[in-house]
Amino acid sequence: MPAVQETIDQVRQIDVDQYKYGFETLIEMEKAPKGLNEDIIRFISAKKDEPEWMLEWRLSAYRRWLTMEVPSWARVEYPEIDFDDIYYYAAPKSMSGPKTLDEVDPELLRTYEKLGIPLREQEMLAGVQQSRIAVDAVFDSVSVVTTFKEELAKAGVIFMSISEAIREHPDLVRKYLGSVVPVSDNYYATLNSAVFTDGSFVFVPKGVRCPMELSTYFRINEKNTGQFERTLIICEEAGYVSYLEGCTAPQRDENQLHAAVVELVALEDAEIKYSTVQNWFPGDSEGKGGIYNFVTKRGDCRGANSKISWTQVETGSAITWKYPSCILRGDNSRGEFYSIAVSNGRQQIDSGTKMIHLGKNTSSRIISKGISAGKSNNTYRGQVSAHRKATNARNFTQCDSLLIGNNCGAHTVPYIEARNSTAQFEHEATTSKISEDQLFYCLQRGIPEEEAIALIVNGFVKEVIQELPMEFAVEAQKLIGISLEGSVG
Amino acid sequence: MNVQSKKPITAAEQSLLDRYAERRKERQGNASLTALRDGLVHEFDQTGLPGRRIETWHYTDLRTLLKFVPEGFSPETGASAKPLLSDAIVLSARVGGQDSAMPEGMAVSSFNELLTSANATDLLESKRPDDFIGRVNSIFVDGGSVIDVSKGVKLEKPVELQNAASGGHLHTRMSVNIGDGAEGTFIERQIATDTADSFVSSITDLTVGKSAVVTWIISQERGDTDTHLGQINIRLGEDARLMLFIANAGGHLVRQEVHVTADGENSDFALRGVNLLGGDSHTDITMEYDHLVANCVSTETIRNVVFDRARGVFQGQIRVAQIAQKTDAKMACNTLLLSDEGEFFSKPELEIFADDVQCGHGATVADIDENHLFYLKARGISDSKARAMLVNAFISEIVEDLENEDLVEAFEQRFSEWLTRHA
Repeated sequence: MPAVQETIDQVRQIDVDQYKYGFETLIEMEKAPKGLNEDIIRFISAKKDEPEWMLEWRLSAYRRWLTMEVPSWARVEYPEIDFDDIYYYAAPKSMSGPKTLDEVDPELLRTYEKLGIPLREQEMLAGVQQSRIAVDAVFDSVSVVTTFKEELAKAGVIFMSISEAIREHPDLVRKYLGSVVPVSDNYYATLNSAVFTDGSFVFVPKGVRCPMELSTYFRINEKNTGQFERTLIICEEAGYVSYLEGCTAPQRDENQLHAAVVELVALEDAEIKYSTVQNWFPGDSEGKGGIYNFVTKRGDCRGANSKISWTQVETGSAITWKYPSCILRGDNSRGEFYSIAVSNGRQQIDSGTKMIHLGKNTSSRIISKGISAGKSNNTYRGQVSAHRKATNARNFTQCDSLLIGNNCGAHTVPYIEARNSTAQFEHEATTSKISEDQLFYCLQRGIPEEEAIALIVNGFVKEVIQELPMEFAVEAQKLIGISLEGSVG
Repeated sequence: MNVQSKKPITAAEQSLLDRYAERRKERQGNASLTALRDGLVHEFDQTGLPGRRIETWHYTDLRTLLKFVPEGFSPETGASAKPLLSDAIVLSARVGGQDSAMPEGMAVSSFNELLTSANATDLLESKRPDDFIGRVNSIFVDGGSVIDVSKGVKLEKPVELQNAASGGHLHTRMSVNIGDGAEGTFIERQIATDTADSFVSSITDLTVGKSAVVTWIISQERGDTDTHLGQINIRLGEDARLMLFIANAGGHLVRQEVHVTADGENSDFALRGVNLLGGDSHTDITMEYDHLVANCVSTETIRNVVFDRARGVFQGQIRVAQIAQKTDAKMACNTLLLSDEGEFFSKPELEIFADDVQCGHGATVADIDENHLFYLKARGISDSKARAMLVNAFISEIVEDLENEDLVEAFEQRFSEWLTRHA
């Protein structure tokens, strides 16, 4: 069954030529010379005033990277990237050293205003925004400002850019950095380890529920630059934090690289909720320009009863290569992955998740919805694996795809690996498998079947997405209504 | 994706290279055939056995799994096993000769004869870069049959094709052409007549003509130490109907590939598979289905029961081309993992380029449902009996799809014997 008109219209509203964030900020930038070598890495490290061990860490990653091969297993095609034709460091000139908001270049503040990102605490306190969110704004290679730092500090929560954290909390960074995504994990993660510039650091101490939403907003502005974001979130025993990430870039003819690494660590009874609204420039309708989004995101449920939940709404990027994963190490730990990925134009998405069950009684849930339109390709690739000792591991996976038009592709590549008899895995990719009871309940109340199906399936996703702050989730809100009739599997 | 760099040569690789060198001296083939084989061996020398870096071989890494290849070649034994169905026409897959009266409208000849003809190289050329089975078979193939069922002929009796090995290498190929509107049931049995180790590659190229109706059964009955690399390549014509039933209950290292191309509209393909896995065996069913035309239906259901330290793999890939609108494809893989040391890997994959299709896949892995067990035990049935009943029920559902009562009975018996030995 083909897609219904309403869905087609909704997807059209976020088509690649409707990109709203394509403007450029004209601001004087300081850049490292183009290309990648040990001197560039020393330059970045020196710029950030890093300790010696950090530089060594970067250099060993770089040497390792030189020996690695570009991964080619994903279902994406792009011309070979010339890593020597990229600027690895670009920062607004006015940003030499941390500043208070009043000292930040007004042009930068205007940029964030235009993007709808609140950076002024007073405005938020004055009730301009409905909810209070602490924001770390990253512009190309540097963090411009982090809001509500003091207030968070009162609660014991550390929220700052990773560059600052390396200087101010070296012991914490050293203990956890690379402990979830090892330096040698994969080609792009190793590259990131060598050249990462900025990102966020969050530390939630034992027993603390973070009093507000934390958020980082990534903006690539400068031409020919790569953005190498590094984010590290640690949630100690019984802590809780909800973190949201947003990203945009100007409309340019050339492709730009965003190779990020995000590491989450949840100790006993801790919970981390990580949400992404990915809206990088997707390229034009002919596939010119756009961001290559090659990202390694992984959460480690290190302690018993911990929980990590990934939510992603993917509408941007020319190419997406990203698999937010959960390592369910602690007994009774839980992993969740909710994803809506919409591809238009000539976008290529190869995304999904990995749920690695190592501890006892661990459970995971995967809900993924992919919608392809235009001439795009949208692949769900997910791995669910239960280790021999992961007794009573449970997984439920549901992935649905929808094609709009006849020039795009939707693909599903699940890897299901069971290594003990108490594991219970269910993988579904059809709408017809919805619980008969739930469907009956809706039909009883006069809801037509089609609507009832959409209601039930979307119920999962909606629950999570509705918690995203409104100002970040415009696209997400639009997508929620998209129903699943016409799903092809 | 399919690039493998040169690694140290394994014992199995060396053994295969040595066997070829020996065979090359003994064998008199035409020059083009020898050149083709030399080329394939040269390529094999470069790439070696497929390992986990090659996507389609990720879970069946021959570099580590294939530890040993026997030295000799299996002598010809003919079709000597008792047929599964008493009324079957029994043939040796290897010699292509007839052991009982051939029905009218069916012709059988030797594959070796076909190989000496001018177009031999076309027969053996492999189109897929990751087709290791095709290559190894092309390098060594010696024996096989060519079967032709004429247009409109309805074979009343099932045809049983016995591919027997009694230790050593065995490499056979069958080329089967079912004419338009013809009907028949074929049972391909992969048998061990001996406990000596064997290394077998067996390829069947099956063309099902327009409106033809075929049931094809592959029964895996090799010994506990045998390696079997099987492949069936299927072309489905317009309105053709094919039921492919794979019964894996034997062998040590087994991979059965199924490659289906639907190139006539309205065809109907059903794959039913039962994998009974025990000991320290490794069994893999890998299916690829290309929907190249509109309005085709396919259903695949694989049921697996894993005991001991056995490992099972199911990879299914359904590809729907842009023009293959109104495709209806459903794939399910259900596994009962009954041992904590057993493993099962499934990868039910969809690749869809048409927007008006229905494709679904499902995969489950679990132990026997405690509620079901409780239900039976509450009625005074012992634990082991109850478990056996539930396992039987789990696979019977698939066997029953064979519809033919004699076949259902034969396989239920075969499976039940296997389960009695292993459970």
